[in-house]
Amino acid sequence: MKKQDSLTEQNRRDFIKGSSLATLMMLMGGVPLRAEDKPKTEEGTTYKTTGAPLNCAMIGCGVWGRELLKELSRLPNAPVVAICDSYEPFLRRSKESAPKAETFADYHKLLEKKEVQGVFVATPSHLHKDIVIDALQAGKHVYCEAPLATTVEDARAIAQAAQAAGKLHFQVGQQLRSDPQRHFLLQFVRTGAMGKTAMARAQWHKKQSWRRTSSNSEQEKLMNWRLSRATSPGLIGEIGLHQLDMASWFINAHPVSTTGFGGLIKWNDGRDVPDTVQVVVEYPGDVRLTYDCTLANSFDAEYEMYYGTDAALMIRDSKAWMFKEVDSPLLGWEVYARKDTFYKENGIALVANATKLKDLGKKATEDAGPAEETPLHFALEAFISSSTAISTAVEDFASTYDVSDKKALAEYLAGIKKTLMLDKPWAGYKEGLEATVTALKANEAILKGQKVTFQKEWFELG
Amino acid sequence: MKTNYLRFTRNFTAALLMLAAAVQAADNWTRYDAQPTGSKVKIEGTSTIHDWTMDGQIIGGYVELDPAFDASPKPGKVGARAQVMIPVRSLKSGKASMDSVMQQAMKQDVHPKIEYRLTEMSLKEAPKSPDGPYQFDTKGDLIVAGVTNKIAMLVTMERAEKTKLKFSGSTPIKMTDYGVTPPAPKIGLGLIKTGNDVKISFEWITSQRAATAK
Repeated sequence: MKKQDSLTEQNRRDFIKGSSLATLMMLMGGVPLRAEDKPKTEEGTTYKTTGAPLNCAMIGCGVWGRELLKELSRLPNAPVVAICDSYEPFLRRSKESAPKAETFADYHKLLEKKEVQGVFVATPSHLHKDIVIDALQAGKHVYCEAPLATTVEDARAIAQAAQAAGKLHFQVGQQLRSDPQRHFLLQFVRTGAMGKTAMARAQWHKKQSWRRTSSNSEQEKLMNWRLSRATSPGLIGEIGLHQLDMASWFINAHPVSTTGFGGLIKWNDGRDVPDTVQVVVEYPGDVRLTYDCTLANSFDAEYEMYYGTDAALMIRDSKAWMFKEVDSPLLGWEVYARKDTFYKENGIALVANATKLKDLGKKATEDAGPAEETPLHFALEAFISSSTAISTAVEDFASTYDVSDKKALAEYLAGIKKTLMLDKPWAGYKEGLEATVTALKANEAILKGQKVTFQKEWFELG
Repeated sequence: MKTNYLRFTRNFTAALLMLAAAVQAADNWTRYDAQPTGSKVKIEGTSTIHDWTMDGQIIGGYVELDPAFDASPKPGKVGARAQVMIPVRSLKSGKASMDSVMQQAMKQDVHPKIEYRLTEMSLKEAPKSPDGPYQFDTKGDLIVAGVTNKIAMLVTMERAEKTKLKFSGSTPIKMTDYGVTPPAPKIGLGLIKTGNDVKISFEWITSQRAATAK
């Protein structure tokens, strides 16, 4: 059960030596089940595989807050007991997914509720700071949407508060960090299976206005906080952040500099936030990510690509493919893997959830269809199970030892968090601060049309 | 109501034990308390898929030793008392889903702790050095999921930093002896059956009370 302990320390040799599909599954902590292993008529015990429930609350019930509520309603152990928004119709709409939740207009009142254990902060990004800090002070586990904030100072204040609240779980809404498919793919990059990293490219294309409408003009202005530079970190801060974060994670480095360009091409409706942006983010060793994000065209939607000297990797819709060079070493298992054609290229499917295919032996060559669960699902699952696990760890420690020994407790919790991370990974305050700084500075480069060189201390908690 | 009654019984028992401990303390035995860092407990088992382990770092309790033994350890029966407890939830398999299954199998909601009480301890032979290792044959009561069984176990003791004692040992147990049905959860498409035989091993760090922060 602990096979994934050494996941990140693997070297390329071990990786290739053991590179059968079954081994890959094992490395991911999965259980390879072949058709012949399937149980016949045996009955199992009736134990539940989901852990203890966490009473959740949502602060900010706009479009994204309601999306979170919908996903939470699908989890068996995430009852939503309270919701908060200053706009009553949002609360009403939220009731569809959270019918039993008590409603609040003032988040302070919500935080006073003892039964609330975990709080989701999905308000406009520039309003996160006070809510997150108050929630942590009230002893609640916090899931803060990305970006953490719209200024580097606020983002750092949030990260510092989260670090100080060691007895609580803090997670950032960078859900791609919880995606099993991306963790699976990460090995190909980190172990050098794609050769030396040459460059990266990513995009997010969607023809849509980003404007929200309401019959209440005052409310409409508030709802469109994303369209004004005063309150919005722009496309790169609200959307690009996730893909920029992926690049930093896969390339395993902080960015060195960023240049950016932006324009208002399609939606020149009085907004001052560009609807089309392009950035080049430079990493150490002359590795660069080129990224574009637009509301003017939807061609090819969204994906990320990593190019190495032996292969290119593509990830889209939480599915991944490898495109090999003719002179790259044979890994072995790819001969049997499913291939998909992309115009004139053959992509070898890299299927992290192949364990869920009914008959792996027979059907590995067929497309598994869309991923069963979204990265958001895995992120929320991680939040629920980590929050309860950390709370119980604190209780168990306190019931056994002298709690005045803060150092010993901190050490114990650090170990627990490490174990949890291997099981259901998440983005914490450190990843949140790094991604927010990267995206905010990229936005600065876009708006000023200038190159921004990253200072090491921007990424530090101080 | 049943739970309340159980809780009452447990609290009452705990109070009695504390009282007993207070009385015992008067007889001048050296008391060593569990330390919050450095202890390890491991449960190893099997299943139809692969072997599994659960690890924990929390071992609470105390040991009291007869000062006569401290002065000149001789083979044979040793004056000692010990109570040990491990919170069931602190045992981690690395998979939240399996932890959940194990906690239900061990009836964690009613019996949140694994407990052990030493009843007899004898030194096998004089140690090579005063720091040990000392090897003891021990007998005691192991309580899992509320069921008590007598177990015999070989325990090793080493001295560290003068005031600290490290105990280590291991014992095989059968889940069914403690009324625990070996979990056979349906995960994904398969039924995973765990084996009845498991091994518990531990390393327990204790320190003389004067040296603790209490």
